[in-house]
Amino acid sequence: MADVTLSSRPKTERPGKQTHIGRTIAYARKHPVLSLLSVLVIAGLLWIGYRIFDWAILRGVFYSPDSQLCRVDGAGACWAVIQERWRIIIYGLYPFDQQWRSALACLLIMVTAILSCIPVFWRFSRIAPLWIAGFGGFTILMSGGIFGLEYIPVRQWGGLSLTLFVFSSVTILTMPTSVILVLMRQSKLPWVSRSVQAIIDFVRSLPLLVVLFVAAVVVPFGLPDFMIGEKLFRVIAGFTLYVSCYQAEILRGGILSLPPGQDEAAKALGLGYWHRVSRIILPQAFKVSLPSTINQIVIIFLETPLIVIIGFFEVLASGNAAFGTAEWGIAAKEVYIFIGVIFFIFSLSLSRYGAYLEARLSKGDRR
Amino acid sequence: MQPDSQIAVSIHNLNKYYGSYHALRDVDLTVREGERIVICGPSGSGKSTLIRCINQLEEHEQGRIEIFGNEMNAQLPDIDAMRRKTGMVFQSFNLFPHMTVLENCILAPILVNRTDRGEATATAHEYLTKVHIPDQAEKYPSQLSGGQQQRVAIARSLCMKPRIMLFDEPTSALDPEMISEVLDVMVEVASEGMTMLCVTHEMAFARKVADRVIFMDAGEIVEENDPDSFFDNPHSSRARKFLDQVLQH
Repeated sequence: MADVTLSSRPKTERPGKQTHIGRTIAYARKHPVLSLLSVLVIAGLLWIGYRIFDWAILRGVFYSPDSQLCRVDGAGACWAVIQERWRIIIYGLYPFDQQWRSALACLLIMVTAILSCIPVFWRFSRIAPLWIAGFGGFTILMSGGIFGLEYIPVRQWGGLSLTLFVFSSVTILTMPTSVILVLMRQSKLPWVSRSVQAIIDFVRSLPLLVVLFVAAVVVPFGLPDFMIGEKLFRVIAGFTLYVSCYQAEILRGGILSLPPGQDEAAKALGLGYWHRVSRIILPQAFKVSLPSTINQIVIIFLETPLIVIIGFFEVLASGNAAFGTAEWGIAAKEVYIFIGVIFFIFSLSLSRYGAYLEARLSKGDRR
Repeated sequence: MQPDSQIAVSIHNLNKYYGSYHALRDVDLTVREGERIVICGPSGSGKSTLIRCINQLEEHEQGRIEIFGNEMNAQLPDIDAMRRKTGMVFQSFNLFPHMTVLENCILAPILVNRTDRGEATATAHEYLTKVHIPDQAEKYPSQLSGGQQQRVAIARSLCMKPRIMLFDEPTSALDPEMISEVLDVMVEVASEGMTMLCVTHEMAFARKVADRVIFMDAGEIVEENDPDSFFDNPHSSRARKFLDQVLQH
């Protein structure tokens, strides 16, 4: 790259170090205005960074059981609120003496999710029992009523474990339902494909909030009593339907991007419809649509707090409760930052995992 | 070929339309077991459509197609199983890019013929050796050259032990230096007595291997003859014109 400029330099100099500084200086000479702007922007960023550091760390209050230290003049971030109120953020309204169950349930669902990210478990015979065990264990721990655990109704579930439960249920349920939707959408029978297309277009034209509201409030009027079920599960079903319609379109894009010869070659070998779909079409379509799928999953996670609207106490709502008292009312920022960090960690891990999957799946496939 | 051998493919009064476009017109064709047929003709003449109708990748509107006496029709419920009797090699190879060469070759035998994995693998290695790529089994298709990919595609079809092989312009997408390696394999397949229908422009191959050359134009079979008579003495003016263009160089 820098061969031209290097050739004029004495050979004793190490090119690697020289080029970087040399290139910067050369650039500054060539574009003085841009360079000045860059310096200003960097200085501004450093200044803002220092202000945040000063507020969050140097003047931050990390311990103050009664919040008095946070009210002293010149006090910075009031992290004491996390110290004092983390339980309500993480566990919501869950009964105080039973919160270990919620913690365990949270851990269980995370372990299940992490395990299912490992290629060893990518078989139906392994992933299905894993998730049945994961969700079963979660429900038993959270709900209780057996094994001597105290019964705790769903309306008292809350905080991070509720968020994770809704998120992972919707993600897991979306995968099969979106596949079913896209296969029906691609059906050769016009009345099947048309009606599924109509459903997909209709659901995609609705805001998620409306879908959740209908699932929680309107659906019970239209269903016989025994089918109404718990509000939480209706909301998860509505959420799943909503996301599945988007995911089905993502998968359809993947399927349409495959050369028609793939299906033809599979047909010519005598493979039946289900073998063609499961061995040839879907694996390739899934690979093509992986970036959008990961994006969709991150969106599910970030949209989970919407369930607060219909009365669920997920992590953002329980955060509101955490600073909703007289003594902690000053610490809203810190609670939101804390929750923001939780969301950031989850979203970042999801997108890093997506990048790993893309790298893994593209192995040996450079068409 | 023995004149009294079984009838492998029988096509009677076949008509095929793409919308209002009449792609195949009243095509009649009988192929006996062990016969090697080369189908040629200008582009758009319906040759590919014809052989894609034989295994019903294209559905026909009129007429009847039989393979060893069984009707081929995409509307039949067991059409997927019926396709096992024919193998097909495509212009664009159509290997499955997410599977290794070996997985490409054993997929259908295991899923469709219910061969056990060990036996299917042994068969696959045998055919990969036959197409002269014995040591690429663990590679992915994208790691192979076009000629190698097409030979894998031939091996993949042969692994299903078809009784008829259909070739749809198998060398048209290849670089010139790779054409002969694929044709060599096709000659070897032919020499083992396979019933073959090849759509190809490789006239030297046709002369060497074909029992019959079928010339198509505008959706109909215009001329049908043994290769020497066809090339040296074509009857129709359309065939003469076509041969002039193809054999010019």
